Amino acid sequence: MTSRSGFFSSSVGKKYLMGVTGAGLSLFVLAHMLGNMLLFVSPEAYNLYGHTLIHSKFIYFFEAGLIVLFLLHIIYGVTLTLQNRAARGYRTYLTTSGDKAVTFSSKTMIWTGTIVGVFTIIHLLNFKFGAYYEIVYDGVTVRDLQRLMLELFMSPWYVAWYVFAMLTMLFHLWHGVQSAFQSLGFRHPRYTPGIIKFGAVFAWIVGLGFMSQPLYVYFFLN
Amino acid sequence: MLKLDSKIPGGPLEQKWDTHKFKIKLVNPANKRKYSVIVVGTGLAGASASASLAELGYQVKTFTSLDSPRRAHSIAAQGGINAAKNYPNDGDSVYRLFYDTIKGGDFRAREANVYRLAQVSNAIIDQCVAQGVPFARDYGGLLDNRSFGGAQVSRTFYARGQTGQQLLLGAYSALMRQVGLGTVKLFARREMLDLVVVDGAARGIVTRNMVTGEIESHVADAVILATGGYGNTFYLSTNAKGSNGSAIWKAYKKGAAFANPCFTQIHPTCIPVSGDHQSKLTLMSESLRNDGRVWVPKKEGDTRRPEQIPDEERDYYLERVYPSFGNLAPRDVSSRQAKFRVDEGRGVGETRMSVYLDFRDSIKRLGKDKITERYGNLFQMYEKITDENPYEVPMRIYPAVHYTMGGLWVDYNLMSNIPGLHVLGEANFSDHGANRLGASALMQGLADGYFVIPYTIGDYLAGSKLPKVDASHESFRAAENEARGRITKLLSVRGNKTVDELHRELGKVMWDYVGMSRNEAGLKKALTEIPRIRDEFWQNVRIPGEPNFMNQELEKAGRVADFLELGELMARDALHRTESCGGHFREESQTEDNEAKRDDEHFAYVGAWEFKGEGKVPEMSKEKLEFERIQLATRSYK
Amino acid sequence: MSKAKKINLTLKVWRQKDQNEIGRFETHPVKGISTDMSFLEMLDHLNQQIIHAGGDPIAFDSDCREGICGSCSTTINGNPHGPDRETATCQLHMRRFEDGQTIVVEPFRARAFPVIRDISVDRSALDRIIAAGGFVSVSTGNAQDANAIPISKESSDLAFDAAACIGCGACVAACKNASAMLFTSAKISQLALLPQGAVEKDRRARNMVAQMDREKFGNCTNTGACEAACPKGITLENMARMNRQFTSAWLTARVR
Repeated sequence: MTSRSGFFSSSVGKKYLMGVTGAGLSLFVLAHMLGNMLLFVSPEAYNLYGHTLIHSKFIYFFEAGLIVLFLLHIIYGVTLTLQNRAARGYRTYLTTSGDKAVTFSSKTMIWTGTIVGVFTIIHLLNFKFGAYYEIVYDGVTVRDLQRLMLELFMSPWYVAWYVFAMLTMLFHLWHGVQSAFQSLGFRHPRYTPGIIKFGAVFAWIVGLGFMSQPLYVYFFLN
Repeated sequence: MLKLDSKIPGGPLEQKWDTHKFKIKLVNPANKRKYSVIVVGTGLAGASASASLAELGYQVKTFTSLDSPRRAHSIAAQGGINAAKNYPNDGDSVYRLFYDTIKGGDFRAREANVYRLAQVSNAIIDQCVAQGVPFARDYGGLLDNRSFGGAQVSRTFYARGQTGQQLLLGAYSALMRQVGLGTVKLFARREMLDLVVVDGAARGIVTRNMVTGEIESHVADAVILATGGYGNTFYLSTNAKGSNGSAIWKAYKKGAAFANPCFTQIHPTCIPVSGDHQSKLTLMSESLRNDGRVWVPKKEGDTRRPEQIPDEERDYYLERVYPSFGNLAPRDVSSRQAKFRVDEGRGVGETRMSVYLDFRDSIKRLGKDKITERYGNLFQMYEKITDENPYEVPMRIYPAVHYTMGGLWVDYNLMSNIPGLHVLGEANFSDHGANRLGASALMQGLADGYFVIPYTIGDYLAGSKLPKVDASHESFRAAENEARGRITKLLSVRGNKTVDELHRELGKVMWDYVGMSRNEAGLKKALTEIPRIRDEFWQNVRIPGEPNFMNQELEKAGRVADFLELGELMARDALHRTESCGGHFREESQTEDNEAKRDDEHFAYVGAWEFKGEGKVPEMSKEKLEFERIQLATRSYK
Repeated sequence: MSKAKKINLTLKVWRQKDQNEIGRFETHPVKGISTDMSFLEMLDHLNQQIIHAGGDPIAFDSDCREGICGSCSTTINGNPHGPDRETATCQLHMRRFEDGQTIVVEPFRARAFPVIRDISVDRSALDRIIAAGGFVSVSTGNAQDANAIPISKESSDLAFDAAACIGCGACVAACKNASAMLFTSAKISQLALLPQGAVEKDRRARNMVAQMDREKFGNCTNTGACEAACPKGITLENMARMNRQFTSAWLTARVR
């Protein structure tokens, strides 16, 4: 009577999982973006914020959580894409257009996702595992991430890549955030237009916020 | 001469069905699975019969020529389904529904069958609601009703303008439930090419797999045909492109009697023909006549735009001629009146071959929103087809062939004169007489499938000694060979005319001479024209392609070949019936004010035709219609 | 009154003899098409032309030609059922096209819909999804009086909106992932919204989704192409409802 196949191997379950992990990651990027905004305040504020985070009791818990979210989101995203390609089957297919067209961001999730994924790895290598400078504030030695950032954002190429990656993330979030609501079963004629707007606003805030940082550094701090 | 025993049970009308259900033989539950039944067709009648029989435990094999059972043409019925629930408290009853149906059919249907239909009508609504059919409801959460032609009570249940769809999807879901349980074996894209009769009893069918072209035999203990009507004989009709008369025609040629073939319903509200390219006609539901007013200009050849014609220069002819029923006069009557107006030169539109159905007044009275709620999808459909907005410009409508009341002769048990061959729904002749009332086809299809055949087939199976037969039996071999031979013959003609061209020619003859208004000279002309087209068909048809792939021209050709024979029988039947009744209007038999004049003295019977061999004249037998309860009266809607 | 005119077109039509053959496009000029014709009547016209020229006509499914049976399965210039919203191919009229236009005609594509011939595809996978649970388990004769359970007009209307699905498969064809979720969710929604169907809603959601996955349809990524392509305006709301139901069915099931 009951189908015994596991929830997360069903198509609805996979959607659900993408939605939940995506929602978690969205909250993470929002928090990350807001924290980084401290660089507009002062190098000290920025560095102390980083110091507090690194030395928090929960840091390993959060990092482990993030890794799990990232991995699940990526593994399921890739699996879904491969399954979906196979389900489509034919290569001569023309795509919908005109009144029946779909949004650019919804069609390109795997590509924007891939770029964001690559960016994340480079980002971790450059920052988390990058050059370790130190600076002392009131007798406390903290990592000088501000200096590392200034060095990296001196290169116009690095800034361009960073801005490009954040733009792709903006598109990824544009579809992803409102889509997560749908996957988790939230849709209602009264609220959905608002949710769709919320997704767009969220994506633009996060995207523009992240883009503003290298541009500010490149044009005003160097 | 056939002996047509209608097997109507004795006793008072109200108790016949109950008595009969008690008296007929039953198959015990454990034995039911030993019996197999073939059902051809998956419309309301076929799907409901398949599901109900499988639920009882019979092994059912169900066939459809479409890719899915859900596509059967019952799906296109728009307006509603009748039942004698009397929820609106307006005086309805089983007896009134029975009476209206008999009267609507112009007293050419069997009393006992029609009474049973009215009796089971309420259970149909219950069953459909239980299946999740989303009928229209009012704010109190209870079912809503509307009125339909030929009735003065509101007894029609509806689901927007898509009642047929919702009822069929209900029956389809019941069928698919059984398919999932393995009790029904479903054969889609199979066309029945012949009925197989062994020792006088129907024991199976021969089909063509429409994907691979394979000819297959299927054996069973009984065969049910629920294959719909033959309105497509006219080429243009409201039937689906694939609707055809081949299954019942094959059964006729195997000995089943064909009853009242000339009884054709011409529906008054269809979108008029726009050009030679027209492939079918689209119906606008009769329910529109609840709020739309039918009119033509008073002046002949008035070419002003409708909004420029003031009220006093409009002839609301249905309201004028039939003050008590007005725009809700029955279909046959309304169609004929439209034809008279067009014949008088007062038709409208570019071709002058249509009349107006105007919503101006009801939009004024009820508001546009209410009209949208009631008929939104119909208005949208009309606009898509005609590029005219019916909220602003009156609809243009004209009658079109819609339903065939005639069909294979069946007894009270819905069994034809071939033992084991049962016929349900539009394919049989039984309940609508010479004219069917709106919203009664859905009722009959589901009554036959859900509530009649599950009982009566048991009586047949329990009461017959059927020898074991398999597909290697010589009758099956012979039928298969015949089917293959006919396909080879069709493909080998290699002439110059397409199937559609020949079908159009047939359709024109049928419409001109066997259509809304018939006379002796015209019918005789049809009887020479149809064989001429048939001869041309067999000498000059061009069917491309091979037999062992999907070949839609070949499929069409087989059906048109049968229409070319069936059309002749329709004309022959129309010629013999010199009275006018219901949809059959003989110009020779009319009153002074052009109403149909029945001749009960000579024609109160069912004319059942028997095939006597290729090229031979068929023979007609009569089943006299006995009316115990009803007083034969002139049918007046004035 | 009539605004009909004649137009000439070039058609690029998908031709494929059977499931095993690799298909190709074939180009046909069609002349003197009345703008009052439906798209399928235009194909009829082309077929007559092909037969007279000694060729094999294009196979395509159609039946009611009133937009309700769901037989037509034509992708027109990349759009299942053509450019208009809430319009099946048979209801699409040639006045929607321009003189001289090239129109690409393909079948509804998906791995779960193998091509039978030309434009005709096998959509029996959709029937099997219904057979897995798209019904109320009520046998004939078991029903109580139709008015015994009042149903709010709102629920009844919502159920109707979902029940309007014609099972054509345009949602699958339009979806870049060939997902059948809109189709499946329409039936799950319809029956869950009515008290008669709600009784077995958990079992239905699980079984229908499982069958949909077995048929190798793709997974939904919420692009909304299905909703845009649907000739009957079935909305994504149904899909969200299915997601909720499936999840709650899974969470509360006693058997894993």
